[in-house]
Amino acid sequence: MDFNWSLMFASYATVFSPGVLFIICVGITAGIVIGSLPGLTATMGVALLVPLTFGRPPLESLAMLIGIYCGAMYGGSISAILIRTPGTPAAAATILEGYPMARRGEAGRALSMALFASFFGGVCGALIMTFASPIVSGFALEFGPVEYFALAIFGLSVIVSISGRSLVKGMMSAVFGLLISSIGFDPISGFPRFTFGMMEMMEGPPFIPTLIGLFAVSEVFNEVQKTGQLQQLKAKVDRFLPTWEDIKHCFKHLCRSSVIGTFIGSIPGAGGDIAAFVSYGQAKRTSKHPERFGHGQIEGLAASESANNACSGGAMIPLLSLGVPGDAVTAVLLGAFIIQGLQPGPMLYKENIDIVYQIFASMMLAQFAMLFIGMAGIRLFAKVILVDRAILTPTIFVLSMVGAFAMRSNIFDVYTTLAFGILGYVMMRYDYPLSPILLALILGPMAEANLRRAMVISSGDPSILVSRPIAVGLMVLAVVSLLMSIRGQKQVEARLAEMEQAFEKEITD
Amino acid sequence: MKMKSLFVGMTALLAGTFSAAALAAYPEKPVTVICPWTAGGGTDVLLRALSKEAEKHLGKTINVVNQTGGAGAIGHNAIRAARPDGYTIGMITFELNSLPPQGLVPFTWKDFDPLMRINSDPAALTVRKDAPYSTVRGFMDHAKANPGEITIGNSAPGSVWHIAAGLAAEKTGVQVKHVPFDGAQPAVTALVGGHIKAVAVSVAEVRGQVQAGNLKILGVMSGERDKIFPDVPTFKEQGVDVEFYTWRGLAVPKGVPAPIKAKISDAYKKAFDSKEFQEFAAKASLNLAYQNAADFTKFLDQNYKDVEAVMKSLGLAKK
Repeated sequence: MDFNWSLMFASYATVFSPGVLFIICVGITAGIVIGSLPGLTATMGVALLVPLTFGRPPLESLAMLIGIYCGAMYGGSISAILIRTPGTPAAAATILEGYPMARRGEAGRALSMALFASFFGGVCGALIMTFASPIVSGFALEFGPVEYFALAIFGLSVIVSISGRSLVKGMMSAVFGLLISSIGFDPISGFPRFTFGMMEMMEGPPFIPTLIGLFAVSEVFNEVQKTGQLQQLKAKVDRFLPTWEDIKHCFKHLCRSSVIGTFIGSIPGAGGDIAAFVSYGQAKRTSKHPERFGHGQIEGLAASESANNACSGGAMIPLLSLGVPGDAVTAVLLGAFIIQGLQPGPMLYKENIDIVYQIFASMMLAQFAMLFIGMAGIRLFAKVILVDRAILTPTIFVLSMVGAFAMRSNIFDVYTTLAFGILGYVMMRYDYPLSPILLALILGPMAEANLRRAMVISSGDPSILVSRPIAVGLMVLAVVSLLMSIRGQKQVEARLAEMEQAFEKEITD
Repeated sequence: MKMKSLFVGMTALLAGTFSAAALAAYPEKPVTVICPWTAGGGTDVLLRALSKEAEKHLGKTINVVNQTGGAGAIGHNAIRAARPDGYTIGMITFELNSLPPQGLVPFTWKDFDPLMRINSDPAALTVRKDAPYSTVRGFMDHAKANPGEITIGNSAPGSVWHIAAGLAAEKTGVQVKHVPFDGAQPAVTALVGGHIKAVAVSVAEVRGQVQAGNLKILGVMSGERDKIFPDVPTFKEQGVDVEFYTWRGLAVPKGVPAPIKAKISDAYKKAFDSKEFQEFAAKASLNLAYQNAADFTKFLDQNYKDVEAVMKSLGLAKK
């Protein structure tokens, strides 16, 4: 497929009309709000607004939905940084560095880096989508059960990187996560496991309520315990964009994570959450100071945020060129295309190539709209952290409960949130990292279902696992990254111990 | 059991006396429609398009609420357990007849008051374009000659398409391997990528890939040929006597007063007949198959018996 430059410019001209630009901005703004509220994800935002597009012209409708998609991906980072609540699952890795930065009084720095990283990732994703769609989409189809299993294993190797201070405790969290991910329907036989006869448990622990409970509610309990002795946080918000030094410092990570994000996004079934964690792990492994990760290291934030926004462009690739959605949001977008009378896939390239290029253009412009709207909003968002903790903490609690309920209007989810909140609090008290649970919940079912599927296909012959080059490559990568991280982790533990000794010595002196 | 029927009778009685005054005024406030499947999915999009039109005739806002989980069990249960005052309606789907035989839910369609059937989509057997067979018979012969080679993808274990594929294999006496995926879309993707040999999902779910020339449909499991692909013969025409459909319809909890039921049915029937909805259905390639409450009830009864029998013979039912 040859790239049609003149059509590209014509499409930019079409999208650059006031009407379409306005609708993109509306979408971005709505997306940022939806994304920053816990419980309202990008998928839900797009799904709820699809009916609004019935009877509207295709370009306008799709531009708005794309705006929401991109806006929500960024929006999730705002609440992740400020109140330790991932607005969307893809922002879960952003908490790791973003929240400690905000606690240190660097909310402005974190927010502006998140915005810039989102923009950077989004632009890279849109560029790759525009110029490399046919190449990338061919690769995406190569992914069958065996490759997905290998990808999940590779993803799980990141656990070492997010284990915090102790590898053993990280492993314990991860195994606990894998155990609870086995609750619910067996993916192949459909047998309900560990449900205790409860219908709510049939699909396993509901993901969003678990996420909100583990991170937001546990922090609420933590805050309550410290009431009265807590100092008001100071937030210096004097800038809209990160400093030149910060950008330079993170540039390597931004580029690498954007490519990783686009690639993972383009694989159907793997979305922003996996992309963000994998990039974060990559950033930590290659850093000279892995011991600083988890305490507000800006590269970690830049890596996860650029990856999850690049993912959006990546996920559009198989949708447009194959008619196969790359993640949950693009699955909903597929429906929106069909309602418009457009069938994504090779036929779209033949019959509606103009709309394909207009989508490329909308995706790119959405990133710029996001940058400007985000810059205008940063001061406003950052105000959140200046609110008196005595008011903010209960508000977060209420928001978390509402968010958990809103997902599927089920009171069971509120109880789940509370239970995981208590669990998260106890685990934090005893220094167990929470993110491995999350990663296990995302990747555990993926690994299990695809391993089992592969076994059904091969009639139980395990040699199928090493019969495919991509899968073997991913598993080798998993082993390498595991070994590298374990070596890195030993260093981290040693340096942290050293620092503590020095600190204690200082105190006794 | 006696206590339960007494209780049901009393609530019905209470509902009757309470609503006497409210009947004429219905609806006085927004109406909720429960969708047991996720926002943005096929059922959800259909229900939202239909409810948007029904609003015009009902005169009040209709809110679609997604109560998902438990393979549809949670949403169906919520419809069943809702207050029977006409302010909660629900969309019931095929799973209402496949969950009870698996022993996963303590209720059946008899605990609902069906209003109307909206659509019914047959399963289609779809393979890759480059496959060496182009008829259902050819496929089955290939499967017989190469035991253990044929893998058929479906949307979930025990799902409508799993049962459909199982039924087709049973009728032709071939051994195939069923590979459940997490929804129909991933199964279709895996087929396009060549990781499985066939899928048994609806025509709407494979339409794009068939039109793009990646896949071909060998046959549809319905009484008549598909409107979009009239060249594709039915299973029956090819000598395999299998018909299998998924369906969607509207229902209310038991005990809604008849005049209110009539108002809801009337609004939704008008919405169903509207030009806008018919256009939507054509675009989404939905096979509309309206049935009124009486016919829908008969259909549900027969469908339940059929599904239970098939699941038992496939070993999918609870022993």
